[in-house]
Amino acid sequence: MLRVLFPLVLLSLAAPAGRAQPSFEAPPPSPAPVQDASQRRAEYFRRVDEVLDWAAGGGSAKTDDPAKLDLAMIAARIVRGQDLPGCSGRVIEMMREPGTGPFWMFPSVCIAYLGRDRLSPEALASIRTAWRTTRQLRGDTENHFVMYYLSLYLMAELYPNEPAETWYNGQSSAENLAEARAYILNWIDVTTTVGQGEFNATHYIGEYVIPLQFLANWSKDPAMRQRGRMMLDWLFAELAATTLNGVLRGPNSRTDEGSAIERWSAMASYFSWLLFGNTPPTPGYSGWGLYFAPLAKNYEVPEVIYRIATDRSGDFVQRDRARVRPFWRYSDERSPAVYKTNYLRRDYAVGSTRGGRIDPLQSHVWDVTWAEADPRGQHNTMFSLHPHSASEIIQASFVFYPEPMIKGVTLEGKPSYDSPDKVIGSSPYEQVVQDLDTVIALYDIPAGTRFPHVNGFFSKDLADVTEDPSGWIFARGGNAYLAYRPLAAYHWIKYLHYTSGWAKTRLDLGGRILTSPHLKNGTIVQAASASEFKSFAEFKAAITSLPLTFQLEPKPAVTMTTLRGRKLTFTYGELPTVDGRAIDYAQWKLFEGPYLNAEIGGRTLSITHGRLKRVLDFKSVSITDTVKEVVP
Amino acid sequence: MAHFCPALLLLLLPSTAAFGASGPGYDFFLCANLNRNYTIGAKVSANNGVYQQEPSGTWRHVGYNDGTITAGAFDPRDRNVMYTSALNGLWRTLDGGRLWRICNDWSMTEARDVVVDPNAPDHVYVALPDGVGVSTNRGQTLLRREDGLPARGKYTQVLHVDRTRAGRVLAGCETGIYLTENGAQHWRRALTTTDTVYDIQQSPHDPRLWLAATHGVGLQRSIDSGNSWQKIDAAPSTHPLYNVTFDVTNPQRLAVGSWSLGILTSEDGGTTWTDRNAGLPAPHNVWRVGIDPSGRLYASVAGQTLFVSADFGRTWRADTIAAAQVNKFVLVPRAAR
Repeated sequence: MLRVLFPLVLLSLAAPAGRAQPSFEAPPPSPAPVQDASQRRAEYFRRVDEVLDWAAGGGSAKTDDPAKLDLAMIAARIVRGQDLPGCSGRVIEMMREPGTGPFWMFPSVCIAYLGRDRLSPEALASIRTAWRTTRQLRGDTENHFVMYYLSLYLMAELYPNEPAETWYNGQSSAENLAEARAYILNWIDVTTTVGQGEFNATHYIGEYVIPLQFLANWSKDPAMRQRGRMMLDWLFAELAATTLNGVLRGPNSRTDEGSAIERWSAMASYFSWLLFGNTPPTPGYSGWGLYFAPLAKNYEVPEVIYRIATDRSGDFVQRDRARVRPFWRYSDERSPAVYKTNYLRRDYAVGSTRGGRIDPLQSHVWDVTWAEADPRGQHNTMFSLHPHSASEIIQASFVFYPEPMIKGVTLEGKPSYDSPDKVIGSSPYEQVVQDLDTVIALYDIPAGTRFPHVNGFFSKDLADVTEDPSGWIFARGGNAYLAYRPLAAYHWIKYLHYTSGWAKTRLDLGGRILTSPHLKNGTIVQAASASEFKSFAEFKAAITSLPLTFQLEPKPAVTMTTLRGRKLTFTYGELPTVDGRAIDYAQWKLFEGPYLNAEIGGRTLSITHGRLKRVLDFKSVSITDTVKEVVP
Repeated sequence: MAHFCPALLLLLLPSTAAFGASGPGYDFFLCANLNRNYTIGAKVSANNGVYQQEPSGTWRHVGYNDGTITAGAFDPRDRNVMYTSALNGLWRTLDGGRLWRICNDWSMTEARDVVVDPNAPDHVYVALPDGVGVSTNRGQTLLRREDGLPARGKYTQVLHVDRTRAGRVLAGCETGIYLTENGAQHWRRALTTTDTVYDIQQSPHDPRLWLAATHGVGLQRSIDSGNSWQKIDAAPSTHPLYNVTFDVTNPQRLAVGSWSLGILTSEDGGTTWTDRNAGLPAPHNVWRVGIDPSGRLYASVAGQTLFVSADFGRTWRADTIAAAQVNKFVLVPRAAR
C-alpha cells in the first residue's frame, strides 16, 4: 500500500457543521489591505477567536458532549478553559487507541503542551504512555517527516532525561532530541538552499506551519524557536507572493481535484483568510487549520508579508526554484530542480513549471486563474495537461510492486489517477514555457502510452466561450479575457468531479474537458485584462492577428509573438527563447522577483514591499527588519 | 569485517537428509499486514507484523504491531535478537520483543529487507530504496556501504546472505544483482537488468544454486553461487515475478509468485512450470508464495487472505490467519534459541 498523505480524510470530517462559521457564511471580505496596524491586529485576533469559538463549541461534532470531541476541539477548549475535566477524560479515552504516525503525533503534542497546567496528571500521563506503547510511523513524504520530527523533538524536550524503554522507538529522550534536531536542521537547510520538494502545496502547507508554530512557541531552545518563527515567515511569504486575493493557484507540487478546479477550496485559503483576511475561510477551517488557532495570537504575520499578500495593484513576475521529491528509481536524478514562473495581476495570475516529472500523483503544472469577488464555488481556472498514468512513475517515488500501483492509488485518496479525463498530475511528455501571461505547453507522447491525449479544462464559470474559425477558443473568466489555442484537433467531454479522495462516484459540475487525442500536441494560452480592450471582440481580433506559426512534426514547435510583443520560440526538447535569447534556467535563483529574493545555496530570504524589508538569515539565525526612511 | 565461525557454519548448513515431512530443521515465519487499506495516521485495527507458525499450523504473533514490516531476521546465536525492516527503517530487539529500538537515523527510510549474516551474526544488512545499510554491531549503528553500487539504480529490494561464507551477500537492485564478498566493502554487478530484481534465494539443498525473480527478465538461475546468471526459459517472463521459493523438503520443487501470473510451480527443478491458480480466488493476484518446513505451499492473494495447499498447489484452502497480506515468508534454521 502507498504510504502517502491523505489529509482529505480528516478534511472531510471537518465539513461545515451546525456551529456558526461567521466568516464562511458571510459575504467575502475585501481583498484590500487594512492600513491601520491596530485594526489589522484586532481583525486578526477576531478571526482567531472565530476559529477557537467554533472548535471549542464542538466544531464538526455538532455537540457539547466531551465524548465526541477530537483533539483539535479539546485544544480549543483548553485555551478557553472550558470543561477541563471533560477534556481530561476525553484525552484519556482517546489515548487508549492512539494513532500511528505524524497526523496523530502533532495533535497529541499540541494537547501535551497546551494541557501542561490545565489537564489532569492522568490525562497528561496517558499521552506520555501512548508515546511509549504505540509505534509511530514516520511516513514517506516531506510533510510526514517534518510533522514527525517536529513532534518528536518537542516531546523529547517535554520529557527529558527519560530512558530508551519509555519511548516507542527504543531511544532515550536525548537520542530522540538529537535525531529530531538533526533532521529539522537538515530540512531547513535544504529548503533554504534548493527549495522545498512539496512546494506551493494547496493543502499540505498546514502540515508544515502548524508544527513549526509549535516549535516557535514551545521549544526550550531559543535558536529552535527562532528557526520556527523564521520558517513560518518563509512559508507565509511564499504564500503571500503566489496567491491572488488569498487564493493559491498553480503550479503546485501536490494538490487534488477539488483544489485544482475550485482554487479557493484548499487549506491554503484558510491561512490566507486567517493571516491576511483577504478571502473567506474554508469549510470547517480545513480541519487541520484548527491546530494553528490555539497559538495563533503568538504569531502575527509581519507587515511586509501582509502587504505582499494584499497588494495586487501592480503586475509582477516572480521566478523561483524548488525541487522534485526524491526519485528512488527510474530517474537519472534523485531530486531534479523545478523552475517556477508566476505572473500576477489584479484580475488574474499565470503560473507554471517547465513540466516534466514532478510529483507522480498530485502535481499541477500550470494554469491561468482569474480573480473572483467571491471565489467560493468558482472554478476560476484554465489549463491543459497530459493525463499521464504509469506504475513506473509512481514506483519511482514509492517502494512498491508494479501492477497494483495504479489501482492502489485510486483506492487510497487519488481516485482520478486511473481516469483518462483526469485533471491533475505531471507528465514526462509535457514541456512548458511561460512568458508573462502567455503559456505554451507542448506534448510529445510516445506511442503506446496510456491515455494518449491532452486534456484542457474549461470551467463552468467561463463566459462567452467561442470556438473561433482561426483555431483559437476565446472565453471570459471574471475580468480576464482568455485565448486558448489547441494545436491539434479535439472534441469535448464532460468534466466529472471526484468530490473527495474517497469518492466512489463523480459529479457533473458543469465544466468540460477539451480532449485532443493526438500524440504530438500543444496548447497556447494568452490571457489579458478586460480593461485593456474596448471589447471582447477587440481582444479576439488582437489575438487572431498575433504572428503565430507552429508544427507538430517531427517535434511540436511554436513561434509566436505574444500579446505583450515578445517573440517566443519553443520546440519540444529544446530551450525556449524569448526575443531571440534562450532562457537560461541555470541562472535562476531560489527566489527572484520584486518581493522575494534568495540565492541558491544562500540560506537567506529577503522579503520586501515598498519601504519594508525583512531578511531571514538562517546562517546567523537572525531576522532583520529595515524600513526606508521617507524624507518629507 | 566479518569474522568466521566455522562451527556455527556447520550448524547452519542445512542438510537435505534432515528434512522430513515435519520439517524439524526450520521455523517458519511470515511478515504481514492484516490492517487493510491502512494509511498513515489511521488507527491500527489488527495485529500486524511477524507471525510464527505453530506446530498445529496456526500462527502466533511475535514482536511488534507494525503493518509496514517488510521482512524479519534473527541472530542465529540467540532467537531473542530479532530485526525487522519496515517503513521507519531497521528495528531491533535484544530481549525477545519486549523493547524495540530503531537503528537508523532520518537519512535511511522505507527499508525493504533485512538479513543477518549467519557466519558473522553481528553483521546486519538492510535493503533501502537508495542503497544498502550495514551494521557490524547488531544494529547499534548503521552505515551505508555502497562502493560499487551505481550512483543511480541502486534501489534495493532484496538481500540474501550466502550461508557458506561470511560477508558474501547478494543484493537485488533496480539495475541488477550485485554481489559483495567482503561484507559490503565493495559490490560488483553479477547480473545486469533494466528493472528491479524482486527476490533472490539460495537453495537449501545446494548452496551454489540460486534463483532470482525479476521484473522484466523472468526467473534467473545461478549455479555458481551467484557469480553468473542465466534465464530459465521455461519460466515466463511476460510479467514481473515477485518472489521465488525453494522447498526444503524436496530439491525439485520450486514456486514463483506473481501479481499477473498468480502461482507457478515446478516439480522438476525448473525444467517445466505449471499454473497452480485453480482454486484460488480470481483474479489470483499473488503478493507472495512460501513453502513451510513441511512442504505446504502458501499463497498470499491480494484482496483476499493467505491460502495454503497441502498438495503443492493442486488444491487450496484458506489459512487460519485472517486477511493477511504477506510481504515475506521467512524460513529460519533452528540452530540456536
